[in-house]
Amino acid sequence: MDILGFLLHGFAVATEPQNLLLALIGCAVGTLIGALPGLGPVNGVALLIPLAFNFGLSPTAALILLVSVYYGTMYGGRISSIVLNIPGDEPAMMTTLDGYPMALAGRGGEALGLSAVASFVGATVATIGLTLFAPLLVGFAIRFGPAEYFALFVLAFATIGGVTSGSFTKSFVAACLGLLLGTVGLDPASGVSRYTFGLYELYDGIDFIAALVGLFAISECLLFLEDRRQATGASRELGSAIPGMRSAGRCAPTIARGSLIGFIAGVLPGAGASLGSFLSYTLEKRWLGRKGDFGNGDPRGVAAPEAGNNAAAGGALIPMLSLGIPGSGTTAILLALLLSMNITPGPLLFEQQPDMVWGLVAALFIGNIMLLVLNVPLVGLFARVLRAPTWLLMPVVILVAFVGVYSLNNSAFDLYVMLAFGVLGYALRKLEIPSVPVVLGLLLGGEMEFNLRRAMSISGGDWSILVSSAISVGIYAFAVALMVAGLLYAWWLNRDSGR
Amino acid sequence: MTADEPGAAPRPAALGDRLAGAVLLLLAVVAWWHAQTFVSGFRQPVGPDLFPRLVCVPLGVLALYLICRPGLNQRWPGGAALLRQAGLLVVLGGYAAFLEPWGFLPATLVCSVLLIRLFDAAWRQALVSGAALTAILYLLFEYALGIPLPAIPGLGF
Repeated sequence: MDILGFLLHGFAVATEPQNLLLALIGCAVGTLIGALPGLGPVNGVALLIPLAFNFGLSPTAALILLVSVYYGTMYGGRISSIVLNIPGDEPAMMTTLDGYPMALAGRGGEALGLSAVASFVGATVATIGLTLFAPLLVGFAIRFGPAEYFALFVLAFATIGGVTSGSFTKSFVAACLGLLLGTVGLDPASGVSRYTFGLYELYDGIDFIAALVGLFAISECLLFLEDRRQATGASRELGSAIPGMRSAGRCAPTIARGSLIGFIAGVLPGAGASLGSFLSYTLEKRWLGRKGDFGNGDPRGVAAPEAGNNAAAGGALIPMLSLGIPGSGTTAILLALLLSMNITPGPLLFEQQPDMVWGLVAALFIGNIMLLVLNVPLVGLFARVLRAPTWLLMPVVILVAFVGVYSLNNSAFDLYVMLAFGVLGYALRKLEIPSVPVVLGLLLGGEMEFNLRRAMSISGGDWSILVSSAISVGIYAFAVALMVAGLLYAWWLNRDSGR
Repeated sequence: MTADEPGAAPRPAALGDRLAGAVLLLLAVVAWWHAQTFVSGFRQPVGPDLFPRLVCVPLGVLALYLICRPGLNQRWPGGAALLRQAGLLVVLGGYAAFLEPWGFLPATLVCSVLLIRLFDAAWRQALVSGAALTAILYLLFEYALGIPLPAIPGLGF
């Protein structure tokens, strides 16, 4: 079957009533989570994973739900950026620069409408890209042996974070810490217990989901207790979002460029949506030069980052699904969901579970249209949620996290794990050590070790097997190239901020 | 973005990084040393101790680098904020400890009221919304999601 045939089949899966309903719920909840300041895509998806388990959903349905949430948060993040000047999540940071001035000038509705259309185009471009490129990558990766996979993991760790955080040392520290934490538990190959210190609860390893919810949601609450930012000004008159559709037409070239840049940023390992929106905005600003009025409410300054972050969000799904290597925090959490359901993403997934892969892709197309509808005429409803008081919101988040994690295994031990990771996540944030590499290490460590050991048993203990094929050498070279690119990018950033 | 928002402008704070570097270095050394106890019964080209050790090496080196050349930190919280954070951890730790012996309803009620107080609500608001939240969560998990929670032990629930 060709791609079109697979996609048609996917639409048959995605339009089953249950899946349609889940996509709709996911889109609405995602927009809501994205809109609430402090609750970004990572915490939102992490928080909902235990719930998805508890619903007893099939892996396909759970994935559709969570990916709809993921896409939804990318739409929702812009709402509080524009209305409150507080980014709803990290990728929406750039949207505040021109979105808030537009709202101050009474064009808030227009900005919301325009950014919804830009988000739609960005996400659609990325989903088309996913449809076309993921099978290509799969066709290539199907020939990978353990040595090549090991190289791929090295690539993932060499590039993750370096691009996003700016500090190579800290990203690598984080990755090593995650890998070390990933070795806790019984070694699957020999049955030897490692770093369990007699706690039988640790024999299965550290529970991914408890760790993730702690690392993101609990640490977020700790952060909230500290700075006590209060949302104000939510009652400002926004006006209708419909005129935004027309200004989207005028911004079409900007949206197109932003989508393309964002998509590329998303596919690259270690980048993700924040980089997508940042690059789209910055490059658009350079491209237009004096013709733009950036920073003072230029509509193009809203269109570019929103197209960029949504395109990057879709692009980041490509390496996650086709190689099993997530390129961003949220895709790492989606990977955790799959691993917890005993599904290993990668080339084989496309062969063995075409229903799931193509159903998901089709659900993304459908969800995007749902999101456009939710986010243009109904955006006022979501903007109203921003008035929910913090004192209610954060306890709700914490309790949902607690009950959700507890109900996974009915184990209070998982709750302590979650709290410990909450403190760890908070400390990492204060130290400016990115937590995404920790998650990746925790998730991918087992598979990385497995491939290393398999390669070594094939070669009988000869290390040269790791660099014996052209593909693995190529991957290492690519890793080095991306690291150099990351260094140059960090240098470029410093030069820019130094001026 | 206002200037006084924490996180907007990281300030150099060498101490935090040095401390973290020392802790991680210690972790790397102890983990390396502890790996010698991972002995499997049969011979493999790569035993269970190799991979953790392989990770400990860069971890230790990078931690050492962090001690020598610390980078930027965000502003660390002051006294009142630390107290509130410690309060959160105590409440949540207590919740985890009492969830099973007390049962879901009493433990969640106490925990949610305290949490809402911690986030600066008045007692009245805290009691009302805490009770509502407990009831909603219980109904959601017990009936909508079908997860049996230990409601109140000793009452036959």
